[in-house]
Amino acid sequence: MKRAYRQFTERFIEGLLALSGTVTSLTVLLIVVFLFNEGLSLFGTSPLENKTALVVNESNPVQKLSAVSIKDIFDQKITNWKEVGGKDEDILIITVNDIGNYYSEEQIGAEFEHLPDCFSRLVDSLPNALAVINESYRTSYFKGHTIDVNKNNLPDFLSGKEWFPTAEPAVQLGVLPLILGTLMVSLLAILLALPIGLATAIYMAEIADERIRKVLKPVIELLAGIPSVVYGFFGLITIVPFIHDVFDLPVGETALAGSLVLAIMALPTIITVSEDAIRNTPRSMREASLALGANKWQTIQKVVLPYSMSGISAAAILGIGRAIGETMAVLMVTGNAAVMPKSILQPVRTIPATIAAELGEAPNGGVHYKALFALGCILFIITLIINIWVERISAKRKFKK
Amino acid sequence: MEKQTKQQIAFWIFRIFAWCVVALLLGILYFIFSRGWRTISWEFLTSIPEDGMTKGGIYPAIIGTLCLVGGSMIFAFPIGLLAGIYINEYAKDNWFKRFIKLMTNNLAGIPSIVFGLFGMALFVKKLNFGDSILAGSLTLGLLALPVVIRVTEEALLAVENSFRQGSLALGATKLQTIRKVVLPIATPNIITGLILAIGRVSGETAPILFTVAAYFLPQLPTSVFDQVMALPYHLYVISTSGTNITASRDMAYGTALVLVMIVLLLNLLANALRRYFSNRVKMN
Amino acid sequence: MRMIETKNVQLYYGDFHALKDISMQIESNTVTALIGPSGCGKSTYLRLFNRMNDLIDNVRIEGDVLVEGRDIYGKGLGMRIDELRKKVGMVFQKPNPFPKSIFENVAYGLRVNGIKNKDYIEERVETSLKQSALWNEVKDKLNKSAFELSGGQQQRLCIARALANEPSVLLMDEPASALDPISTAKIEELIYELKEKYTIIIVTHNMQQAGRVSDKTAFFYLGELIEYDTTPHIFTNPTDSRTQAYVTGRFG
Repeated sequence: MKRAYRQFTERFIEGLLALSGTVTSLTVLLIVVFLFNEGLSLFGTSPLENKTALVVNESNPVQKLSAVSIKDIFDQKITNWKEVGGKDEDILIITVNDIGNYYSEEQIGAEFEHLPDCFSRLVDSLPNALAVINESYRTSYFKGHTIDVNKNNLPDFLSGKEWFPTAEPAVQLGVLPLILGTLMVSLLAILLALPIGLATAIYMAEIADERIRKVLKPVIELLAGIPSVVYGFFGLITIVPFIHDVFDLPVGETALAGSLVLAIMALPTIITVSEDAIRNTPRSMREASLALGANKWQTIQKVVLPYSMSGISAAAILGIGRAIGETMAVLMVTGNAAVMPKSILQPVRTIPATIAAELGEAPNGGVHYKALFALGCILFIITLIINIWVERISAKRKFKK
Repeated sequence: MEKQTKQQIAFWIFRIFAWCVVALLLGILYFIFSRGWRTISWEFLTSIPEDGMTKGGIYPAIIGTLCLVGGSMIFAFPIGLLAGIYINEYAKDNWFKRFIKLMTNNLAGIPSIVFGLFGMALFVKKLNFGDSILAGSLTLGLLALPVVIRVTEEALLAVENSFRQGSLALGATKLQTIRKVVLPIATPNIITGLILAIGRVSGETAPILFTVAAYFLPQLPTSVFDQVMALPYHLYVISTSGTNITASRDMAYGTALVLVMIVLLLNLLANALRRYFSNRVKMN
Repeated sequence: MRMIETKNVQLYYGDFHALKDISMQIESNTVTALIGPSGCGKSTYLRLFNRMNDLIDNVRIEGDVLVEGRDIYGKGLGMRIDELRKKVGMVFQKPNPFPKSIFENVAYGLRVNGIKNKDYIEERVETSLKQSALWNEVKDKLNKSAFELSGGQQQRLCIARALANEPSVLLMDEPASALDPISTAKIEELIYELKEKYTIIIVTHNMQQAGRVSDKTAFFYLGELIEYDTTPHIFTNPTDSRTQAYVTGRFG
């Protein structure tokens, strides 16, 4: 009896442990489900916000417009129907605000009850009109046809060069500037941090006294633990004004500022991981090299570094992954301009910073909200690829040993 | 002679790089300390923010961060510990174990803002917790989970197999062996790792942006469904988007220093514990 | 000719007195075996001659160590540590080839000592591999990773690697202890042949091996040199009772 009870307990606890182990896997799956559920639902929705419709005169041959050309029309970069495949006529935009110029208050009605009618007559009388109306005005007796707007889709999303999710009437959801901004800031950060971090790691593992190392190691561990918002704050107070003054720029919040802050943040990780990799070189390898007459530097160069290369590259890739996902520090110092990055001395905006800055203002369930989740998906996929990459490198390393 | 000269040059370059890095890192610490020191007082730590967060203290933010750290650990610690034990002691080397390990590693690599997105979608919206301590703690807990698992795993891995075999050979069951032999040896490492996980959680901003953090909330929470202020978010707010950024600068320095001090104290605590435990082991 | 000589050498690891007043002379073109129980100081003594002990913290060495008459620990005479290690090659207990090709493993010592002439390097690699009786087995796969070789082959590669530097002394720290009997026999054969050109000092745990390969044998015990004589003498008619007890297998 007692024995059966004991066996039952053992089984029960083993089950509990297995369950806990499964929780992490479930979490990842849940994250994937939620992220992609919201993110992918973006595609197929219309870029027209708030139930808006675009209508034109019956005679207008234009049937379809893309979100980008709509924005260009409203920004008056496109002013003639010819440019979007119509007749050679100037585009006349009519919105609710303009309707007063054509009809009196009486005609519109005190409760705006005649508004749909006014629009209908106006569009019918002006062959070059482009009216922005509420979808509900589009009743069967409305004269004029609706312009089809290309639905949000993945290729446009990835290749679009404009990120303007609150634009009226059509939102602009091009993530290319954000992706490029993210890559530019993080890669530059690693380019800066890797050689310096590696040199420091070599110094700590191979050159420094044990006593010096005992002092340095905790300092570097401490810095690895400092919250990113503190680094962001530090960057904001020191690096941003510094860049502003040195390069004589209108604003100091630039890609360079982001890269510098990220580089500082990446240093502790790179140093710790590379130092471990270097110290893991077997003693027998070092001894063999020294016994053949190599000096310490030759041994480091020809034996230690090649041997620890996979560990060091894991450190670099890990650093890139962290930098790509870093949110707060970057948000605070890069200026967040969602434009195609051209120089490191311009403000840029990264994917995480965009999510952090905009999610609070995006109406729940709207196109903007979904677009931010789609950004989350991109971020997730990038970091997943990086994780698997690091995994494979370290697996190879274990095999080698 | 030539190769010795090369070595000299190379070593000096490394030395210079290393000391520059150390100087830079220490410089950052010095900067935060020297500027924040003046602001920190008992009053600063125990009063609420006033005058558009340009005066007063950060008491609600401290309490909020404590709530979130506590809440996330209540969730992450038991599950992480059990999962770590499972992976290291029970799971056989099959696809299931590899799958769990792969997932754990991937979870650790997911950027914190993605946790924020997920927490908002699941806890705030789907489960309808609203912006609350509960939603924020769970989000932070998920973020801390892979850290706790890894800490546990490494601590268990460091326990030599001979201890396990010794216990099993005396007729103890697997569970008894883990409880009476393996865990006691691994505890010091688990505790120090846990302290560092707490440090990580207390400084995270992105996951709490949309799940709990309040811009300005001068009272303390009364239930787990209340919003709270939190130190890292508070620092972000008053240094970038407060009502008067210049006037709240001193508050920002003070808050930054408090955050650094938390990490510093936790690190010192972890090191002290590590030393204490290793001395005790030697004495036995 | 006297190749190596130590005079009153004392070695301390911190407070631990690891070598106690060792004086010994080793003639050139002989094989000398250092035997004794674990921790007796024989490996430490071997590592004196190429200053491998320097890698350990807290080591203090007193007395003179002469290689070809030059004091290798004295500052004045100016033999640099890497020149010394080029002259005194070493083979370790476990085969430790670098994660490089077979060719690059053997060429390593030449390259780090500043030799750039390709033809010369190729010639040295071939000669060394022939000397270590490995050439026929690897001549078609010189660019393959050294890790593809078997344990015994790896160890002979490590010997070739040491020979490429044209050392005068070859130190061997239990070179066959990690190998199977057939590989061991090959290494022993090799040692016998190499004696023609090199002075070999070998640390071994294996009494039969010492008996088979060496001309002279030194018995170490607790950091002291108990007895040093021709190998037949040590094994058949030792002067000291401790030596006798050890070689007859009564402790070890």
